[in-house]
Amino acid sequence: MNGGRALSEPVPSANSELFRLPEAAVGILLILPAILLLLSLTLYPVLYGVWISFFNKHSFFPQQTFIGFDNYISLLRDPEFWASVWRGTVYALSTIVLQIILGVAAALLLNEVFPGRNILRGIVIFPYVVPTVVAVIVWKWLLNSQFGLVNYLIEKAGLVDQPISFMGKDWIMVSLIIVSVWQFFPFVVIGVLARLQTIPDELYDAAKVDGGNAWQRFVYVTLPQLKSVLFVIVLLRSIWMFTKFDTPWLMIQGGGAETYIRTLPIYTYMRTFAYYEAGLGSAMAVVMFLALAGAAVLYFRIWRREENL
Amino acid sequence: MNRSSGLLSPRGQVLMFAALALLAFTAFPFAWMASTALKPSHEIFVTPPTLWPTHVTLDNLSRLFAETRFLTYFRNSLTVSFATVGLTLLVSVPAAYGLTRFRFHGRETVAGLILFTYMFAPIMIIIPFYVAMRFLGLANTHLGLILAYTAFCLPFSLWLLRTFFQSIPLEIEEAARIDGSRLQAVIHVVLPLALPGVVATSTFTFILAWNDYIFARVLLSADEMKTLPVGIADLYNASVVDWGMIMAAGVLVIAPVAAVFVFIQRFLVAGWGSGGVKG
Repeated sequence: MNGGRALSEPVPSANSELFRLPEAAVGILLILPAILLLLSLTLYPVLYGVWISFFNKHSFFPQQTFIGFDNYISLLRDPEFWASVWRGTVYALSTIVLQIILGVAAALLLNEVFPGRNILRGIVIFPYVVPTVVAVIVWKWLLNSQFGLVNYLIEKAGLVDQPISFMGKDWIMVSLIIVSVWQFFPFVVIGVLARLQTIPDELYDAAKVDGGNAWQRFVYVTLPQLKSVLFVIVLLRSIWMFTKFDTPWLMIQGGGAETYIRTLPIYTYMRTFAYYEAGLGSAMAVVMFLALAGAAVLYFRIWRREENL
Repeated sequence: MNRSSGLLSPRGQVLMFAALALLAFTAFPFAWMASTALKPSHEIFVTPPTLWPTHVTLDNLSRLFAETRFLTYFRNSLTVSFATVGLTLLVSVPAAYGLTRFRFHGRETVAGLILFTYMFAPIMIIIPFYVAMRFLGLANTHLGLILAYTAFCLPFSLWLLRTFFQSIPLEIEEAARIDGSRLQAVIHVVLPLALPGVVATSTFTFILAWNDYIFARVLLSADEMKTLPVGIADLYNASVVDWGMIMAAGVLVIAPVAAVFVFIQRFLVAGWGSGGVKG
């Protein structure tokens, strides 16, 4: 690439001193700033979060009293906590399944040859790189109960007699799932498409000689090749969908049905920044992390067993 | 793939139909946003809705600039995003180089630790992070936000840059070192070769900082400090929704992302292949 630009840059001479240090010391010096940043801004907050989960701590004021496991015990007795876990699970599982199906289908399509394919490849990724707030307001406008285009179209098509209240209590979870799938399925497309491009054509030719139809070729040739990339995609998407905060949070703003999509991350945020219970909020974050880590370990075990068969 | 896909064959027709459906699903919401942004207020609410505005107007834009702090939010977002990219590169380029070119005790542990921190979602660290930032007096500052984004981007940036540095043959670097110092070899030979990685890392970092909602929501309280995602969310919540103005804001927010994205799309494939941005 643009090699000429770097050539014109001045070379600081003071740094030559640095390079007379032993090899290992130079290496450590180079990564030290990164390590310090990670330790102070990621690892320290995580450990500090575990620490304050054992305290009755206000979110703004410094007072704190040690209460042992009381936060955890009150959580387990809080019906709203369990309800939020349930809502979060419904949200995460349905969006993950739909993202995978839609993402794999779109990737298979984008791996074929047709006019405009490269442009479409670029466009498909776009919902994933726009701010969540834009994704949410666009869909709130499309799904608006009075003036929304979707309601106009389904009414005109004779599917419904009166407009659907997409932000009402019966539909808000469905609306949230639609927005989330739209926003995040491109991630699946990118990963799967990259893998599809590396599958050798000979595998398909062999399957054709054996008389396999398109579906059989997909199941017996494509799917086994996609297994490892899907393993990683499902893992990452699960972590990110179970902990998703901004999409559901922005969806509930300005509507009366917020309790119907109050997932665990939303409830954690509310406990901390609306009820000012930083200790309890931290306990919820710890529970969330432990549950995810446990699920991830289990997932790896099952995967390894499958591999051995 | 060289399977038959002529436009007139049944197979070709199915492909084109599926492609159009995919195009409509992903692109139409953006087109509708842009169309609404260009409509005068009365046309936004007519039945049947007009796909293309019959009277194109920039009223919504001028209202956005005149009646809201949109330009302040925009400037804040630019400052924070570019500062995040700068700081992330400053920290992660030397670190990634160090991880690939020097042998030292615990090098693999460091690499593993980096991947481990990748597992922490914002909601899990935001509470202690907020408490710590208040303690340090960095709540409601852009510096606090920049530090948060840098820390959040760092694991992925390191991971991405590391794969790029690994792909540069040591022989090239050693040949360059015969003629000059190591630093010169890095600046004149290694960095230009790793440029696609640096561009990809910058893009991911910029997009993450530009798009983030939760850190900005929690850390910033003063209206004049807010970045775009928080500013727009608050505009939406403020009163009766002015759809034309909100859609105009949406168009302007995604414009820089679209520009960056179109410009460097070919660099992105590499980044996505190795893990993708969080989200």
